[in-house]
Amino acid sequence: MTATGSQEPRNPARRAPGAGAGRSTGTSAGTDLAAQIALVARGDAAAFDVVFERIGPSVFGVVKRVIRDPAQSEEVTQEVLLEVWRTASKFDAGRGSATAWVMTLAHRRAVDRVRSVQKESERERRIAAADIPYDEVIEAVESSLERERVRRCLNSLTAVQRESVTLAYYRGYTYGQVASLLGVPTGTVKTRMRDALIRLRDCLGVPEWG
Amino acid sequence: MKLSRAKKRDEHTLAGAYAMDAISAPDRDRFERHLAGCEECAREVASLREATAVLGSAAAEPLPAGLKERVMAAAAVTRQQPPADEAITKPHARSAGAAVGTWLRSLAWPGRLALAAGAAGAAAVLAVAVVFGVTNGSIQQQLDQVQASSQQIAVVLTARDAVMTTGPVVGGGTATIVMSHSRHALVFTAQGLHALPASRGYELWLIGPAGTRPVGMLTAGSHGMTGPVIASGVRQGDHLALTAEPVGGSPQPSAPMMLDVAL
Repeated sequence: MTATGSQEPRNPARRAPGAGAGRSTGTSAGTDLAAQIALVARGDAAAFDVVFERIGPSVFGVVKRVIRDPAQSEEVTQEVLLEVWRTASKFDAGRGSATAWVMTLAHRRAVDRVRSVQKESERERRIAAADIPYDEVIEAVESSLERERVRRCLNSLTAVQRESVTLAYYRGYTYGQVASLLGVPTGTVKTRMRDALIRLRDCLGVPEWG
Repeated sequence: MKLSRAKKRDEHTLAGAYAMDAISAPDRDRFERHLAGCEECAREVASLREATAVLGSAAAEPLPAGLKERVMAAAAVTRQQPPADEAITKPHARSAGAAVGTWLRSLAWPGRLALAAGAAGAAAVLAVAVVFGVTNGSIQQQLDQVQASSQQIAVVLTARDAVMTTGPVVGGGTATIVMSHSRHALVFTAQGLHALPASRGYELWLIGPAGTRPVGMLTAGSHGMTGPVIASGVRQGDHLALTAEPVGGSPQPSAPMMLDVAL
Protein backbone atom coordinates (compact mmCIF):
# COMPACT_ATOMS: atom_id res chain seq x y z
CA MET A 1 0.00 0.00 0.00
CA THR A 2 1.19 3.46 -0.68
CA ALA A 3 0.94 6.67 1.20
CA THR A 4 -2.78 7.04 1.29
CA GLY A 5 -2.40 8.09 4.90
CA SER A 6 -5.57 8.48 6.85
CA GLN A 7 -7.67 7.51 3.86
CA GLU A 8 -6.61 3.92 4.17
CA PRO A 9 -9.47 1.76 5.37
CA ARG A 10 -9.20 0.63 8.91
CA ASN A 11 -7.99 -2.86 9.29
CA PRO A 12 -9.45 -3.97 12.58
CA ALA A 13 -8.09 -6.89 14.51
CA ARG A 14 -9.38 -9.95 12.74
CA ARG A 15 -12.54 -11.04 14.42
CA ALA A 16 -13.79 -14.55 14.57
CA PRO A 17 -16.07 -15.08 11.62
CA GLY A 18 -19.62 -15.75 12.60
CA ALA A 19 -21.14 -12.57 13.92
CA GLY A 20 -21.92 -11.26 10.46
CA ALA A 21 -21.27 -14.37 8.44
CA GLY A 22 -24.77 -15.52 9.06
CA ARG A 23 -26.81 -18.50 8.28
CA SER A 24 -24.64 -20.13 5.71
CA THR A 25 -24.95 -23.87 5.56
CA GLY A 26 -22.60 -24.46 2.66
CA THR A 27 -19.34 -26.32 2.47
CA SER A 28 -16.60 -25.20 4.81
CA ALA A 29 -14.78 -23.55 1.93
CA GLY A 30 -17.92 -21.68 0.93
CA THR A 31 -18.63 -20.65 4.49
CA ASP A 32 -15.11 -19.45 4.83
CA LEU A 33 -15.36 -17.21 1.81
CA ALA A 34 -18.68 -15.89 3.11
CA ALA A 35 -17.02 -15.09 6.44
CA GLN A 36 -14.22 -13.29 4.64
CA ILE A 37 -16.74 -11.22 2.71
CA ALA A 38 -18.45 -10.31 5.96
CA LEU A 39 -15.07 -9.02 7.16
CA VAL A 40 -14.57 -7.16 3.89
CA ALA A 41 -17.89 -5.41 4.53
CA ARG A 42 -16.30 -4.03 7.70
CA GLY A 43 -13.41 -2.61 5.76
CA ASP A 44 -10.93 -5.39 6.43
CA ALA A 45 -8.29 -5.11 3.72
CA ALA A 46 -6.60 -8.33 4.76
CA ALA A 47 -9.86 -10.22 4.27
CA PHE A 48 -10.21 -8.60 0.87
CA ASP A 49 -6.78 -9.92 0.03
CA VAL A 50 -7.94 -13.43 0.93
CA VAL A 51 -11.11 -13.06 -1.12
CA PHE A 52 -9.02 -11.81 -3.99
CA GLU A 53 -6.68 -14.79 -3.92
CA ARG A 54 -9.58 -17.18 -3.72
CA ILE A 55 -11.87 -15.86 -6.37
CA GLY A 56 -9.89 -13.41 -8.49
CA PRO A 57 -8.76 -16.04 -11.01
CA SER A 58 -12.33 -17.30 -11.42
CA VAL A 59 -13.59 -13.78 -11.99
CA PHE A 60 -10.91 -13.10 -14.57
CA GLY A 61 -11.51 -16.45 -16.22
CA VAL A 62 -15.22 -16.02 -16.71
CA VAL A 63 -14.94 -12.39 -17.71
CA LYS A 64 -12.31 -13.23 -20.31
CA ARG A 65 -14.32 -16.13 -21.63
CA VAL A 66 -17.22 -13.81 -22.32
CA ILE A 67 -15.34 -10.71 -23.42
CA ARG A 68 -12.34 -12.34 -25.13
CA ASP A 69 -10.32 -9.15 -25.44
CA PRO A 70 -7.62 -9.38 -22.73
CA ALA A 71 -7.33 -5.65 -22.01
CA GLN A 72 -11.07 -5.18 -21.65
CA SER A 73 -11.31 -8.34 -19.59
CA GLU A 74 -8.69 -6.99 -17.25
CA GLU A 75 -10.61 -3.75 -16.89
CA VAL A 76 -13.90 -5.47 -16.15
CA THR A 77 -12.20 -7.83 -13.70
CA GLN A 78 -10.89 -4.82 -11.80
CA GLU A 79 -14.35 -3.30 -11.76
CA VAL A 80 -15.92 -6.49 -10.49
CA LEU A 81 -13.40 -7.01 -7.71
CA LEU A 82 -13.64 -3.43 -6.61
CA GLU A 83 -17.41 -3.81 -6.62
CA VAL A 84 -16.99 -6.76 -4.28
CA TRP A 85 -15.10 -4.45 -1.95
CA ARG A 86 -17.64 -1.69 -2.33
CA THR A 87 -20.80 -3.71 -1.95
CA ALA A 88 -19.66 -6.50 0.40
CA SER A 89 -22.32 -5.40 2.87
CA LYS A 90 -24.98 -6.34 0.33
CA PHE A 91 -23.94 -9.97 0.30
CA ASP A 92 -26.53 -12.07 2.10
CA ALA A 93 -25.14 -15.43 3.11
CA GLY A 94 -28.67 -16.70 3.55
CA ARG A 95 -29.46 -16.33 -0.15
CA GLY A 96 -26.56 -18.11 -1.74
CA SER A 97 -22.89 -18.86 -1.58
CA ALA A 98 -20.27 -16.14 -1.66
CA THR A 99 -18.83 -17.69 -4.80
CA ALA A 100 -22.17 -17.47 -6.58
CA TRP A 101 -22.59 -13.88 -5.46
CA VAL A 102 -19.23 -12.81 -6.85
CA MET A 103 -19.50 -14.87 -10.01
CA THR A 104 -22.96 -13.47 -10.69
CA LEU A 105 -21.55 -9.95 -10.44
CA ALA A 106 -18.68 -10.92 -12.70
CA HIS A 107 -20.74 -12.60 -15.36
CA ARG A 108 -23.33 -9.88 -15.49
CA ARG A 109 -20.70 -7.18 -15.82
CA ALA A 110 -18.96 -9.08 -18.57
CA VAL A 111 -22.19 -9.61 -20.45
CA ASP A 112 -23.19 -5.98 -20.05
CA ARG A 113 -19.84 -4.90 -21.44
CA VAL A 114 -20.10 -7.19 -24.42
CA ARG A 115 -23.66 -6.14 -25.19
CA SER A 116 -22.88 -2.45 -25.04
CA VAL A 117 -20.08 -3.04 -27.53
CA GLN A 118 -22.27 -5.32 -29.63
CA LYS A 119 -24.72 -2.56 -30.28
CA GLU A 120 -21.95 -0.69 -32.02
CA SER A 121 -20.71 -3.58 -34.07
CA GLU A 122 -23.66 -5.81 -34.75
CA ARG A 123 -22.12 -7.03 -37.95
CA GLU A 124 -18.87 -8.18 -36.40
CA ARG A 125 -20.82 -9.95 -33.77
CA ARG A 126 -22.73 -11.93 -36.35
CA ILE A 127 -19.52 -13.05 -37.96
CA ALA A 128 -18.01 -13.99 -34.63
CA ALA A 129 -21.12 -15.94 -33.77
CA ALA A 130 -20.55 -18.38 -36.59
CA ASP A 131 -18.17 -20.60 -34.65
CA ILE A 132 -19.65 -22.76 -31.95
CA PRO A 133 -17.64 -22.60 -28.75
CA TYR A 134 -18.30 -26.00 -27.28
CA ASP A 135 -14.98 -27.63 -28.12
CA GLU A 136 -13.11 -24.60 -27.05
CA VAL A 137 -14.93 -24.48 -23.76
CA ILE A 138 -14.34 -28.12 -23.09
CA GLU A 139 -10.71 -27.60 -23.94
CA ALA A 140 -10.45 -24.72 -21.52
CA VAL A 141 -12.28 -26.68 -18.90
CA GLU A 142 -9.86 -29.58 -19.08
CA SER A 143 -7.56 -30.58 -16.25
CA SER A 144 -8.08 -30.15 -12.53
CA LEU A 145 -10.70 -31.97 -10.53
CA GLU A 146 -13.20 -29.14 -10.58
CA ARG A 147 -12.91 -28.92 -14.30
CA GLU A 148 -13.24 -32.65 -14.68
CA ARG A 149 -16.44 -32.53 -12.67
CA VAL A 150 -17.82 -29.69 -14.77
CA ARG A 151 -16.85 -31.50 -17.91
CA ARG A 152 -18.55 -34.67 -16.80
CA CYS A 153 -21.72 -32.79 -15.90
CA LEU A 154 -21.73 -30.81 -19.13
CA ASN A 155 -21.41 -34.10 -20.95
CA SER A 156 -24.44 -35.44 -19.14
CA LEU A 157 -26.59 -32.85 -20.89
CA THR A 158 -28.24 -33.30 -24.27
CA ALA A 159 -26.45 -31.62 -27.15
CA VAL A 160 -28.96 -28.78 -27.37
CA GLN A 161 -28.90 -28.23 -23.62
CA ARG A 162 -25.13 -28.16 -23.58
CA GLU A 163 -24.90 -25.79 -26.51
CA SER A 164 -27.52 -23.52 -25.01
CA VAL A 165 -25.57 -23.32 -21.77
CA THR A 166 -22.15 -22.82 -23.31
CA LEU A 167 -23.34 -20.21 -25.80
CA ALA A 168 -25.26 -18.35 -23.11
CA TYR A 169 -22.84 -18.58 -20.23
CA TYR A 170 -19.42 -18.63 -21.84
CA ARG A 171 -20.30 -16.45 -24.81
CA GLY A 172 -22.78 -14.12 -23.21
CA TYR A 173 -25.53 -14.62 -25.78
CA THR A 174 -29.18 -13.98 -25.01
CA TYR A 175 -31.62 -16.84 -25.32
CA GLY A 176 -32.95 -15.13 -28.45
CA GLN A 177 -29.49 -15.14 -30.02
CA VAL A 178 -28.94 -18.74 -28.97
CA ALA A 179 -32.27 -19.67 -30.53
CA SER A 180 -31.35 -18.16 -33.86
CA LEU A 181 -27.88 -19.72 -33.80
CA LEU A 182 -29.27 -23.15 -33.08
CA GLY A 183 -32.30 -22.71 -35.31
CA VAL A 184 -34.83 -23.57 -32.63
CA PRO A 185 -37.79 -21.57 -31.28
CA THR A 186 -37.04 -19.20 -28.41
CA GLY A 187 -39.54 -20.98 -26.18
CA THR A 188 -37.58 -24.18 -26.66
CA VAL A 189 -34.29 -22.52 -25.78
CA LYS A 190 -35.73 -20.98 -22.62
CA THR A 191 -36.97 -24.36 -21.50
CA ARG A 192 -33.71 -26.11 -22.41
CA MET A 193 -31.68 -23.55 -20.53
CA ARG A 194 -33.66 -24.04 -17.38
CA ASP A 195 -33.71 -27.83 -17.69
CA ALA A 196 -29.98 -27.83 -18.38
CA LEU A 197 -29.13 -25.76 -15.35
CA ILE A 198 -31.33 -27.85 -13.10
CA ARG A 199 -29.57 -30.94 -14.38
CA LEU A 200 -26.16 -29.33 -13.97
CA ARG A 201 -27.02 -28.20 -10.47
CA ASP A 202 -28.06 -31.68 -9.49
CA CYS A 203 -25.05 -33.25 -11.17
CA LEU A 204 -22.63 -30.83 -9.56
CA GLY A 205 -24.26 -31.33 -6.20
CA VAL A 206 -24.24 -27.65 -5.34
CA PRO A 207 -25.95 -26.81 -2.04
CA GLU A 208 -29.50 -25.54 -1.85
CA TRP A 209 -30.03 -22.04 -0.56
CA GLY A 210 -32.80 -19.88 0.74
CA MET B 1 -51.14 -9.47 -8.65
CA LYS B 2 -52.22 -13.02 -9.39
CA LEU B 3 -50.88 -14.42 -12.59
CA SER B 4 -52.69 -17.13 -14.41
CA ARG B 5 -51.10 -20.52 -14.00
CA ALA B 6 -49.96 -20.68 -17.62
CA LYS B 7 -48.51 -17.19 -17.55
CA LYS B 8 -46.70 -17.97 -14.34
CA ARG B 9 -45.22 -21.12 -15.79
CA ASP B 10 -44.10 -19.16 -18.82
CA GLU B 11 -42.41 -16.54 -16.65
CA HIS B 12 -40.84 -19.28 -14.67
CA THR B 13 -39.09 -20.87 -17.64
CA LEU B 14 -36.99 -17.71 -17.87
CA ALA B 15 -35.22 -18.71 -14.66
CA GLY B 16 -32.47 -20.53 -16.56
CA ALA B 17 -31.87 -17.75 -19.07
CA TYR B 18 -31.94 -15.21 -16.25
CA ALA B 19 -29.44 -17.14 -14.13
CA MET B 20 -27.04 -17.05 -17.08
CA ASP B 21 -27.74 -13.39 -17.95
CA ALA B 22 -28.94 -14.73 -21.30
CA ILE B 23 -31.70 -12.22 -21.31
CA SER B 24 -32.27 -8.79 -22.81
CA ALA B 25 -32.53 -5.78 -20.54
CA PRO B 26 -36.35 -5.44 -20.78
CA ASP B 27 -36.80 -9.18 -20.15
CA ARG B 28 -34.43 -8.93 -17.23
CA ASP B 29 -36.43 -6.13 -15.64
CA ARG B 30 -39.67 -7.97 -16.20
CA PHE B 31 -38.32 -11.16 -14.70
CA GLU B 32 -36.90 -9.32 -11.71
CA ARG B 33 -40.34 -7.89 -11.00
CA HIS B 34 -41.65 -11.42 -11.21
CA LEU B 35 -38.92 -12.64 -8.86
CA ALA B 36 -39.78 -10.00 -6.30
CA GLY B 37 -43.18 -11.59 -5.86
CA CYS B 38 -42.22 -15.24 -6.22
CA GLU B 39 -40.13 -16.64 -3.40
CA GLU B 40 -40.02 -20.05 -5.04
CA CYS B 41 -38.59 -18.57 -8.24
CA ALA B 42 -36.01 -16.60 -6.30
CA ARG B 43 -34.91 -19.78 -4.59
CA GLU B 44 -34.68 -21.58 -7.88
CA VAL B 45 -32.63 -18.80 -9.47
CA ALA B 46 -30.31 -18.82 -6.47
CA SER B 47 -29.77 -22.55 -6.80
CA LEU B 48 -29.16 -22.28 -10.55
CA ARG B 49 -26.62 -19.59 -9.88
CA GLU B 50 -24.71 -21.99 -7.70
CA ALA B 51 -24.42 -24.14 -10.81
CA THR B 52 -23.39 -21.28 -13.10
CA ALA B 53 -20.82 -20.20 -10.51
CA VAL B 54 -19.19 -23.61 -10.83
CA LEU B 55 -19.15 -23.18 -14.62
CA GLY B 56 -17.46 -19.86 -14.10
CA SER B 57 -14.92 -21.17 -11.62
CA ALA B 58 -14.00 -23.90 -14.06
CA ALA B 59 -12.78 -21.19 -16.43
CA ALA B 60 -10.38 -19.71 -13.84
CA GLU B 61 -7.18 -18.23 -15.21
CA PRO B 62 -4.14 -16.75 -13.52
CA LEU B 63 -4.55 -13.03 -12.94
CA PRO B 64 -2.51 -10.66 -15.08
CA ALA B 65 0.45 -9.06 -13.34
CA GLY B 66 -0.35 -5.92 -11.41
CA LEU B 67 -4.11 -6.38 -11.42
CA LYS B 68 -4.32 -7.28 -7.78
CA GLU B 69 -2.13 -4.37 -6.72
CA ARG B 70 -4.28 -1.97 -8.70
CA VAL B 71 -7.50 -3.24 -7.19
CA MET B 72 -6.11 -3.30 -3.65
CA ALA B 73 -4.91 0.27 -4.06
CA ALA B 74 -8.29 1.24 -5.47
CA ALA B 75 -10.04 -0.40 -2.55
CA ALA B 76 -7.91 1.63 -0.17
CA VAL B 77 -9.46 4.82 -1.51
CA THR B 78 -12.93 3.54 -2.30
CA ARG B 79 -15.77 4.12 0.09
CA GLN B 80 -17.82 1.05 0.85
CA GLN B 81 -21.58 0.95 0.70
CA PRO B 82 -23.31 0.84 4.06
CA PRO B 83 -25.41 -2.21 4.93
CA ALA B 84 -29.01 -2.41 3.79
CA ASP B 85 -30.57 -0.91 6.92
CA GLU B 86 -28.96 2.43 6.36
CA ALA B 87 -29.52 2.19 2.65
CA ILE B 88 -33.29 2.08 3.11
CA THR B 89 -33.35 5.83 3.26
CA LYS B 90 -32.54 6.39 -0.38
CA PRO B 91 -29.14 7.95 -0.79
CA HIS B 92 -29.28 11.40 -2.27
CA ALA B 93 -28.35 11.51 -5.87
CA ARG B 94 -24.85 12.79 -5.59
CA SER B 95 -23.58 14.79 -8.46
CA ALA B 96 -21.02 13.00 -10.50
CA GLY B 97 -18.76 15.99 -10.16
CA ALA B 98 -18.89 15.84 -6.40
CA ALA B 99 -18.14 12.14 -6.50
CA VAL B 100 -15.09 12.72 -8.63
CA GLY B 101 -13.99 15.53 -6.38
CA THR B 102 -14.20 13.29 -3.38
CA TRP B 103 -12.05 10.68 -5.04
CA LEU B 104 -9.45 13.16 -6.02
CA ARG B 105 -9.48 14.66 -2.57
CA SER B 106 -8.87 11.32 -1.01
CA LEU B 107 -5.95 10.88 -3.33
CA ALA B 108 -4.33 14.23 -2.80
CA TRP B 109 -0.93 12.86 -1.98
CA PRO B 110 1.86 15.33 -1.74
CA GLY B 111 4.41 15.35 -4.48
CA ARG B 112 4.40 13.53 -7.72
CA LEU B 113 3.60 9.93 -8.16
CA ALA B 114 4.08 7.80 -11.22
CA LEU B 115 0.85 5.98 -10.84
CA ALA B 116 1.11 3.28 -13.42
CA ALA B 117 4.74 2.53 -12.80
CA GLY B 118 4.49 2.56 -9.03
CA ALA B 119 3.68 -0.52 -7.02
CA ALA B 120 0.29 0.95 -6.32
CA GLY B 121 -0.57 1.06 -9.99
CA ALA B 122 -2.95 3.66 -8.84
CA ALA B 123 -3.95 4.88 -12.25
CA ALA B 124 -6.45 2.17 -12.55
CA VAL B 125 -7.23 2.79 -8.99
CA LEU B 126 -8.32 6.28 -9.32
CA ALA B 127 -9.75 5.20 -12.45
CA VAL B 128 -11.90 2.46 -11.31
CA ALA B 129 -12.91 4.43 -8.29
CA VAL B 130 -14.21 7.17 -10.46
CA VAL B 131 -15.86 4.80 -12.86
CA PHE B 132 -17.74 3.47 -9.91
CA GLY B 133 -18.67 6.88 -8.74
CA VAL B 134 -20.06 7.50 -12.16
CA THR B 135 -21.89 4.26 -12.73
CA ASN B 136 -23.25 4.09 -9.20
CA GLY B 137 -27.01 3.72 -9.25
CA SER B 138 -27.43 6.60 -6.86
CA ILE B 139 -26.45 9.11 -9.51
CA GLN B 140 -28.28 7.63 -12.42
CA GLN B 141 -30.62 10.57 -12.44
CA GLN B 142 -27.84 12.98 -13.23
CA LEU B 143 -27.86 15.04 -16.35
CA ASP B 144 -26.39 13.40 -19.43
CA GLN B 145 -23.93 16.17 -19.76
CA VAL B 146 -22.50 15.61 -16.33
CA GLN B 147 -22.26 11.91 -17.02
CA ALA B 148 -20.53 12.38 -20.31
CA SER B 149 -17.99 14.66 -18.74
CA SER B 150 -17.47 12.28 -15.85
CA GLN B 151 -16.92 9.45 -18.24
CA GLN B 152 -14.31 11.47 -20.08
CA ILE B 153 -12.71 12.12 -16.73
CA ALA B 154 -12.83 8.44 -15.90
CA VAL B 155 -11.10 7.67 -19.18
CA VAL B 156 -8.17 9.89 -18.21
CA LEU B 157 -8.02 8.54 -14.69
CA THR B 158 -8.11 4.94 -15.87
CA ALA B 159 -5.39 5.43 -18.45
CA ARG B 160 -2.43 3.21 -17.74
CA ASP B 161 -0.01 6.09 -18.02
CA ALA B 162 -2.00 8.45 -15.79
CA VAL B 163 0.30 10.49 -13.55
CA MET B 164 -0.90 12.60 -10.68
CA THR B 165 0.77 15.82 -9.66
CA THR B 166 -0.19 18.10 -6.82
CA GLY B 167 1.25 21.50 -6.14
CA PRO B 168 0.59 24.82 -4.44
CA VAL B 169 -1.36 27.59 -6.15
CA VAL B 170 -0.06 31.15 -5.88
CA GLY B 171 -2.29 33.02 -3.46
CA GLY B 172 -3.36 29.86 -1.64
CA GLY B 173 -4.70 26.41 -2.29
CA THR B 174 -3.54 23.18 -3.83
CA ALA B 175 -3.98 21.98 -7.38
CA THR B 176 -4.21 18.34 -8.38
CA ILE B 177 -3.59 17.28 -11.95
CA VAL B 178 -3.96 13.80 -13.36
CA MET B 179 -2.34 13.68 -16.77
CA SER B 180 -2.49 10.94 -19.38
CA HIS B 181 -0.14 11.51 -22.28
CA SER B 182 -1.61 8.60 -24.20
CA ARG B 183 -5.03 10.25 -23.99
CA HIS B 184 -3.64 13.73 -24.56
CA ALA B 185 -5.80 14.85 -21.71
CA LEU B 186 -5.71 15.81 -18.06
CA VAL B 187 -8.11 16.26 -15.21
CA PHE B 188 -7.68 19.27 -12.97
CA THR B 189 -9.12 20.08 -9.59
CA ALA B 190 -8.06 22.43 -6.83
CA GLN B 191 -8.78 22.85 -3.18
CA GLY B 192 -8.75 25.84 -0.86
CA LEU B 193 -8.27 28.45 -3.56
CA HIS B 194 -8.29 32.08 -2.49
CA ALA B 195 -11.85 33.36 -2.87
CA LEU B 196 -12.28 35.86 -5.71
CA PRO B 197 -14.82 38.70 -5.95
CA ALA B 198 -18.13 37.59 -7.48
CA SER B 199 -17.26 39.27 -10.77
CA ARG B 200 -14.13 37.18 -11.22
CA GLY B 201 -13.30 33.52 -11.54
CA TYR B 202 -10.40 31.18 -12.12
CA GLU B 203 -9.70 30.19 -15.70
CA LEU B 204 -7.57 27.29 -16.83
CA TRP B 205 -5.36 27.46 -19.92
CA LEU B 206 -3.16 25.30 -22.08
CA ILE B 207 -0.16 27.26 -23.27
CA GLY B 208 2.48 25.89 -25.59
CA PRO B 209 3.94 25.78 -29.09
CA ALA B 210 0.46 25.06 -30.44
CA GLY B 211 -0.77 28.37 -28.99
CA THR B 212 -2.75 29.47 -25.99
CA ARG B 213 -6.08 27.72 -25.57
CA PRO B 214 -8.65 28.41 -22.85
CA VAL B 215 -9.71 25.19 -21.11
CA GLY B 216 -12.54 26.62 -19.06
CA MET B 217 -13.59 28.37 -15.90
CA LEU B 218 -13.35 26.52 -12.61
CA THR B 219 -16.63 25.87 -10.89
CA ALA B 220 -17.30 25.36 -7.23
CA GLY B 221 -17.54 21.75 -6.18
CA SER B 222 -18.03 20.33 -2.72
CA HIS B 223 -15.76 20.32 0.32
CA GLY B 224 -13.95 23.44 -0.84
CA MET B 225 -12.91 21.67 -4.03
CA THR B 226 -13.42 23.01 -7.49
CA GLY B 227 -15.40 20.79 -9.81
CA PRO B 228 -13.06 18.63 -11.89
CA VAL B 229 -12.24 20.09 -15.29
CA ILE B 230 -11.03 18.01 -18.18
CA ALA B 231 -8.55 19.45 -20.65
CA SER B 232 -8.26 17.46 -23.84
CA GLY B 233 -6.03 18.00 -26.84
CA VAL B 234 -2.91 18.44 -24.73
CA ARG B 235 0.12 18.79 -27.04
CA GLN B 236 3.81 18.26 -26.65
CA GLY B 237 5.41 21.14 -24.77
CA ASP B 238 2.16 22.44 -23.26
CA HIS B 239 1.97 24.10 -19.89
CA LEU B 240 -1.15 24.24 -17.77
CA ALA B 241 -1.82 27.68 -16.36
CA LEU B 242 -4.36 29.15 -13.99
CA THR B 243 -5.32 32.82 -13.96
CA ALA B 244 -8.00 35.04 -12.44
CA GLU B 245 -10.32 36.48 -15.09
CA PRO B 246 -13.72 38.13 -15.41
CA VAL B 247 -16.43 35.48 -14.87
CA GLY B 248 -17.17 35.22 -18.57
CA GLY B 249 -13.56 34.26 -19.31
CA SER B 250 -10.93 36.11 -21.32
CA PRO B 251 -9.53 35.67 -24.81
CA GLN B 252 -6.00 35.65 -23.39
CA PRO B 253 -4.70 34.88 -19.91
CA SER B 254 -4.06 37.88 -17.67
CA ALA B 255 -1.05 38.15 -15.43
CA PRO B 256 -0.27 36.89 -12.89
CA MET B 257 -0.24 33.14 -13.35
CA MET B 258 -1.57 31.45 -10.23
CA LEU B 259 -0.18 28.19 -11.47
CA ASP B 260 2.11 27.23 -14.31
CA VAL B 261 2.94 23.55 -14.69
CA ALA B 262 4.87 21.93 -17.51
CA LEU B 263 2.99 18.84 -18.68
